[in-house]
Amino acid sequence: MTTLRVPLEGSLRYRGREGQWAYLLHRFTGLGTLLFLTIHILDTSTVYFAPGLYEHAIAIYRSTPFMLGEIALVFCVLYHGVNGLRVAAFDLRPAWWREDRQRSSFWWVLGLSVVLWLPAAFLMGRSLIVHNFLGG
Amino acid sequence: MSSALTAPPRQVARPKNFETTAWLFMRYSGLLLIPLVWVHVLIQDVLVGVHAIDLDYVALRWATLGWRVYDIALLAFTFAHGMNGLRNVLNDYVRGNRTRRAFDWLLLGAWLVISAIGAVAIVGGVRPP
Repeated sequence: MTTLRVPLEGSLRYRGREGQWAYLLHRFTGLGTLLFLTIHILDTSTVYFAPGLYEHAIAIYRSTPFMLGEIALVFCVLYHGVNGLRVAAFDLRPAWWREDRQRSSFWWVLGLSVVLWLPAAFLMGRSLIVHNFLGG
Repeated sequence: MSSALTAPPRQVARPKNFETTAWLFMRYSGLLLIPLVWVHVLIQDVLVGVHAIDLDYVALRWATLGWRVYDIALLAFTFAHGMNGLRNVLNDYVRGNRTRRAFDWLLLGAWLVISAIGAVAIVGGVRPP
């Protein structure tokens, strides 16, 4: 277990600032999206393998905790995509491999992700309130 | 310190092996997944919403061949990208070649089985409950 614990603790303690935060967020958003994706492939497959179960799966997704998770998932997908573009762009341009560029690019990525996420979060949050709290 | 940072980067020939192919695949599939996943999420999660989604909705969507092709591409590229990403993460933490190989086989098996389940459902379509 130490083989797993040491690098995980190291990742959180290492003071790499923006570069390290970008890397950690990329991992967490990627792994989180993969976890959801695996469940999502299997629950959608019930439309063919066990159609009676599909409505049960959808009922779970309509619950408040899962709708909040869905809003977080949208942020994961947006950040992972924007930061992935940043990583690929830096791979192609060694001239950009400077500390100041690495740092400022992380804030641009985070800012763009939040700007893209806010309207989606608003619409999904409104849907959550209307359906789960106002009975609409 | 600063001279090491400002020196021109060293040029290295890219080895032609599996890891290079996997690295390139993550870039190309990632680029493709941005429109593919974002449009899917925008339509299904944001605009339609989970309260409007049921068996009839899925059946209606899959009545159009184009959406089935879209969903097959989505399934193939997202899951391959994700599972290879998980393989990369595990390679950072798993020590020992035997354990690593065991994880690789486990991931390969899970990837093939779950992809096949999803593909059968998309091709087979919605069945009456």
